[in-house]
Amino acid sequence: MNILVINAGSSSLKYQLYNMKTEDVLAKGRVERIGMDSSILTHEVENQPEVREVSEILDHTTAIKKVLDMLTHRKFGVLRNIQDIQAVGHRVVHGGESFSESVLVDQNVKLEIRKLFDLAPLHNPAHMMGIVAVEANLPNVPQAVVFDTAFHQSMPPSSYLYAIPTVLYRKHQIRRYGFHGTSHDYVSKRAAEFLGRPLEKLKLISCHIGNGASCAAILHGKSYDTSMGMTPLEGLMMGTRSGDLDPAVVPFAINKEDLTLNEVNSMLNKHSGLLAISGISSDMREVVEAMNDGNDKAKLAFEMYAYRIRKYIGSYVAAMDGVDAILFTAGVGENSAPLREAVCRGLTFFGVHLDADRNAVRSSETRRITTDDSGVSVLVVPTNEELLIARDTYRLVKDKTAVESRF
Amino acid sequence: MFKVVGVVGAGTMGQSIAEMLAAKGLDVHLVEKTPEKLQQAKEMIEQSLDRQMERWAITGAEKKLTLNRLHMETSLQHLSDCELVIETISEDLDSKKDVFQQLDRIVPQDTVLASNTSTLSLTELAGASQFPERVIGMHFVYPAVRIDVVEIIRGLQTSDSTFDKTKRFTEEVLNKSGVMVYESPGFVTTRLICLLINEALHLLEEGVASPEDIDSAMSIGYQFQHGPLEMADRFGLDSVLAALDRMFREYGELKYRPSFLLKKKVRAGHLGIKSGVGFFKYGKDGERIS
Repeated sequence: MNILVINAGSSSLKYQLYNMKTEDVLAKGRVERIGMDSSILTHEVENQPEVREVSEILDHTTAIKKVLDMLTHRKFGVLRNIQDIQAVGHRVVHGGESFSESVLVDQNVKLEIRKLFDLAPLHNPAHMMGIVAVEANLPNVPQAVVFDTAFHQSMPPSSYLYAIPTVLYRKHQIRRYGFHGTSHDYVSKRAAEFLGRPLEKLKLISCHIGNGASCAAILHGKSYDTSMGMTPLEGLMMGTRSGDLDPAVVPFAINKEDLTLNEVNSMLNKHSGLLAISGISSDMREVVEAMNDGNDKAKLAFEMYAYRIRKYIGSYVAAMDGVDAILFTAGVGENSAPLREAVCRGLTFFGVHLDADRNAVRSSETRRITTDDSGVSVLVVPTNEELLIARDTYRLVKDKTAVESRF
Repeated sequence: MFKVVGVVGAGTMGQSIAEMLAAKGLDVHLVEKTPEKLQQAKEMIEQSLDRQMERWAITGAEKKLTLNRLHMETSLQHLSDCELVIETISEDLDSKKDVFQQLDRIVPQDTVLASNTSTLSLTELAGASQFPERVIGMHFVYPAVRIDVVEIIRGLQTSDSTFDKTKRFTEEVLNKSGVMVYESPGFVTTRLICLLINEALHLLEEGVASPEDIDSAMSIGYQFQHGPLEMADRFGLDSVLAALDRMFREYGELKYRPSFLLKKKVRAGHLGIKSGVGFFKYGKDGERIS
């Protein structure tokens, strides 16, 4: 079965085509600048040169059409015709309280996703456009939606509520949802396999450290707590996001600097984090480079960043009364040995002993970076959200077919 | 929905509208008569974007994208692709009519022609076009980037489809509230705010309160961001005077008669922010210094 995985943004769209028998990526690519007369489609097939095509793509329906054309292209394509796509899986950022797992798309699901536009005004409308666009192009192909928030729906109220008047939760669903769920879910399963122990017996802390970053306390395979809240702004310090701060800072800054809500929102989401403290970049590689060149502000930014991850790990050890393994994943987590080292340096008291050589290894495999006698294992687990979306889609479609064939 | 928009006139309002449209992701052609004025407008827009960057409203990448979408032109001929053209030249009926007549020959027949006039008769302006049903008023409030309301003005002959397209564009693309008003000098915003400013000037003339106290009373008392005198400084005292003069002529009611103080200030060249001094003093970036 071939499955197309779509991640639709407001003016862009990423895709990967999987052969589920082997879980190989047959082709992947992206469409940028949707809505313009010079949109760019980039298409990659392994061992072949990248194809770029500039054309007018005014909406998502046209974008999907272009992607399908490319996938079945005589020269660059990998499919004979579009009937070879048996299902489509979509990434959806916000599933609110309505979705605690991936589901197949039907009228009700679409309605529910629309209801959640309020909670994710930047993301969900774009995902919806992706779903509608696939419907228009592949009317009879089943579609599944995989939510960033779904994995964290297992959090208990003591983790997900804010200590503010509960009427705000009842009226507007103001609560903590958490994000990167697909990734936290995936790496915790991979880690259990790697450790050779049942997930139901493990206490794991996973650190998804990319452009956005979050930690999750995963107790017996279920999310118990996570650092992102109602929006992806809460929690760790990130590339350009502030992470946790005293909420009183917001009205105070608005008053002092005469800011609008938009400005303060943009300040916290796009002008803070590593970028604000280092004054150099939101990219960890550049910050580390500057730090090694003796830049003090870069050093401070790096230390703050690592310190906040360490604090979250510490609090989650307390939350679960222990931890068996700590996992690092995503761009920075998988690739920045200095960051992992800095985080683990302060975790020796509960038995983390980093192995410097193992930590320095670069690889795309799951690996242990602590010594063999370390009380707590630290693993680097490369994440693959697209594959998980493809797998969920595959499972849902297969189950449905099985149910239908019984009647 | 409109994707390519023309803006005619690169004065204060034209700059602000063009910048706002480009920031919303639209391709904008900004037209001004001379290359010098155009260059000046470009610099002002860049300054405005820099100020927003300092205020964390946008990032460097967003500034670049916005500037890339902004095309500076010295001739109306470049507007032939535009689906909407917003005219925002100085408030002079004959020059505006001339622009509409020229646009008739350049843009396709279904292009909507909007005027940003605050006091002139839209019906009369529309009469200059061969297709008056496509002419409408879009009155933005300065600064267009920050203020999210647009008065959409229907002239006598404006068609429903022109109105619907404009209203949808305003609300869905610009994310601003579109208030429908029928043609009447000053519409809602200008008529009410100019009366407030004029009355504040009478208070000042009569020695009832100091400029600072008048502004504090109103800004704190009724949650105005700026008091009426600072507002006048920000609009430009000459513009306030012109609007009052026109409403006084059109309605013939004494309440619109501009205060003598306002006339004196304009004659002295104390025009508000743009000259650095009005009722208060302002720095280069328009920030109040006294």
